[in-house]
Amino acid sequence: MESARLKRSLTGIVLLALAALPLFEPHQFVLHMLSLVAISATAALGLQLLLGFSGQLSIGQAAFYGIGAYASGLLSAKLGMPFIVAFFAAGVIAAVVSLVMVPITRLTGAALAVATLGFSILVYLVLKNEEWLTGGSFGLMGIPRASLFGYVLAKPAYAYLLCVAVAAAVYLSLLRLQRSRFGRAINAIRQNEDAARACGVKVTLLKSQCFVIAAFVAGLAGSLYAHQVRYLAPTDFTFWKSVEILIMVVIGGMGSLFGAVLGAAVVVLVPEVLREVGDYRMLIFGAILMVVMLFGEGGIAGFLEQCLRPFSKPRA
Amino acid sequence: MPEALLEAAGLSRRFGGLAAVDAVDLRVERGAIHGLIGPNGAGKTTLLNLIAGALAVTRGTVSFRGADITRWDAARRAQAGIRRTFQNLKLFAEMSALENASIGLHAGTRAGIFAALARTPAQRAEEERIFARARRALEFVGLGGDAGVAAGKLPYGHRRLLEIARAFVAEPALILLDEPAAGLNQTEAANLSRLIGRIRDAGCTVVLVEHHMDVVMSVCDQVTVLNYGRKLAEGRPAEIQRDAQVIEAYLGRGDAPPSKHALA
Amino acid sequence: MYLAELLAGGLAIGCVYSLVALGFAMIMRATSIIHFAQGELLMLGSMSGLSTLWLLPKLPAVAVLICGMVASGILAVAMEFLVYRPLRLRRVALMNVITATVGMSILCINAARLVWGSEPLRYPELFSTSAYRIAGVPVSPQLVWIMAFGVVLMGLLQLFLKRTRTGLVMQAVAQDAEVAQLMGANLTRMMLYTFAIAGMMAGAAGVMFGSLFFSFFEMGFLLGIKGFVAATLGGLGSLAGAMLGGILFGLIETFSAVYVSSAYKDAIGMVLLIAILLFLPSGLVGLWKARG
Repeated sequence: MESARLKRSLTGIVLLALAALPLFEPHQFVLHMLSLVAISATAALGLQLLLGFSGQLSIGQAAFYGIGAYASGLLSAKLGMPFIVAFFAAGVIAAVVSLVMVPITRLTGAALAVATLGFSILVYLVLKNEEWLTGGSFGLMGIPRASLFGYVLAKPAYAYLLCVAVAAAVYLSLLRLQRSRFGRAINAIRQNEDAARACGVKVTLLKSQCFVIAAFVAGLAGSLYAHQVRYLAPTDFTFWKSVEILIMVVIGGMGSLFGAVLGAAVVVLVPEVLREVGDYRMLIFGAILMVVMLFGEGGIAGFLEQCLRPFSKPRA
Repeated sequence: MPEALLEAAGLSRRFGGLAAVDAVDLRVERGAIHGLIGPNGAGKTTLLNLIAGALAVTRGTVSFRGADITRWDAARRAQAGIRRTFQNLKLFAEMSALENASIGLHAGTRAGIFAALARTPAQRAEEERIFARARRALEFVGLGGDAGVAAGKLPYGHRRLLEIARAFVAEPALILLDEPAAGLNQTEAANLSRLIGRIRDAGCTVVLVEHHMDVVMSVCDQVTVLNYGRKLAEGRPAEIQRDAQVIEAYLGRGDAPPSKHALA
Repeated sequence: MYLAELLAGGLAIGCVYSLVALGFAMIMRATSIIHFAQGELLMLGSMSGLSTLWLLPKLPAVAVLICGMVASGILAVAMEFLVYRPLRLRRVALMNVITATVGMSILCINAARLVWGSEPLRYPELFSTSAYRIAGVPVSPQLVWIMAFGVVLMGLLQLFLKRTRTGLVMQAVAQDAEVAQLMGANLTRMMLYTFAIAGMMAGAAGVMFGSLFFSFFEMGFLLGIKGFVAATLGGLGSLAGAMLGGILFGLIETFSAVYVSSAYKDAIGMVLLIAILLFLPSGLVGLWKARG
């Protein structure tokens, strides 16, 4: 079977399986964890666009994740807005804030990384200090559950399906972008910025667009998170959250959308499955980051691709 | 005098105290193949970079089709019809040859993020057109069979050709070739000369920086010689070959070019 | 005199930042990478100094400083030898190397948390508690000692780099590794020395900071970034810039915290960082060079 068709079939099967899961009435906790995986995957997919596709290392995605979460939480809890409005508003607000950072897309490499880090620290400080808005260190409580067209998604299964649906939508959208003129151009930027410029690619514009899209996606993920756990504290959105998202992308495989999802599953589920690992979680992830960088950035997705290669014929 | 396609007036580029290019005037006529030669360090690639917009000028102006493009950045110039190749090949190594060539068509096409997400019929048609043109460009330079091969895996000579294909695919008004014959053997260099001729016949004006004298002499209409960043001589290849100053610049100070490519 | 105390405080923390910034600058010059784990070298020096004091409570301040420096120096060398060198040899892309240093940073922070716990740890009193009098103005002895240590260390570094053979070779390698190698420099060894010194500077900074405030496993994170801000302010890649930037940033931060806002004290550094990266990327040294 052709490599591309194989991948499409697999994606379809996986999506069907995920959608059908609630029919088997799994334990509430399982659904909650999988919802968190879907939410994390959404954020990771945004970073994959930024890092894996356009080559911009941002270690500040938690800022937009947090802005989305608080925006959605505040709009629905304090202003009584319906979930759908709060959800999209969260994405838009995060995207608008990211416009402030657009000038830094001129920077490359580590300078960009540090700038994104600095920005996310600023956002964290605002979240922590502006008690009148965010509740500060006491947190934001009483966030309502997600609801669609007035119908509250009270059952964990419904919330789970919402999270999976959003993740799937983001995944398929980014897949389309990857295979388009836009996707080729940002891929070119990543591989050789000078050459891309010489071909007429507006490098800074495209890099900025990636930045804004990644922020929008992270904002959406943040909104889902807010309505899933229904209580937010600034400590949820520190540098460590940014690092977690980075680890998902790296472990899963840089440049692979499927990898971002796999990475999210690993980072969220493995510590739950291996309780003893819990304390050593970040330690191990730090080590994994180094190891993956040493031995090629393919990550899990790259490894799987190599395994599947004997079974698929490349397109001529 | 008819308007030249490209005009550089008093072009200078300094790095600290060093003038890599010093008050150079250049006129490239439409439809010409204009060679740019000179000993190592003469400033040829720097001049090319100034024309392409990869480097900012310290002084002087560059005009293209009558418009002053001195302040334009590289991407804008590329969009306007100036394309280039790089001396040290800058290919997109992980992409296939076909995709590399398709990037050359980015500037003239339109489908953006929303069109890509919606997969409108217009977007799909544009994608087909892009890849059809990219394929034709590959065939034009002789890489038709390599369309699906990753650029990083191509042999050296093919990579040089791919770089040219990527610059040519948009059929630019002006194409700047930076030492396209570097590292090529006799046969490949002869093929390259013919290719450059075909590029001109297709309607492009060519500026060619080159050390390989066979290529320069066989293909160029006009040759400008640079030395120490200044224009030393200019004229038809045969005249340049006989110019005493040029000979001295190449041979007089021990900068002997390989005997096969000696000027006299 | 409140102003004098603020000034002393600013200069003292400035010395801390300068030492971290020097490490950034040296590693940047030698390898072109921003060493994300630099702050962790500070933290580990701080923790090691503290542990030494737990073992030998009567140890004088200078000895604690040296212990911290040695520990960080060894760790830095280990980082270079076990991780960074293999990355260089495999010609890994710059972005991936940076990601690896992020990984190193995470590893160190969490290892420290497992060893020393997550609570902030106080240094026992290293210096006398009664104020010194300088020009009739009472100043906390801690601040004086820290400034003294800082100046001495920076002075020793300058002497080492400019007057000793090894130091000169290191500078040559930083400027042009290929040529230096052709002239007989042992690149591997010079790289190890660079990391060792950067580590020792950070370790000293850690002991200094710890004795002034406290040590905890995450201290390297913010201090590392601030050290980077200082280095960038001065001009990334310039040692003189790193020293200047550190002192300047220490003063800016200390005074802004009082006169602008103390809740957003850390924000000052972040805003400054982004502003410098955007508007003055070559730092103050770059500005100076452009004038002359």
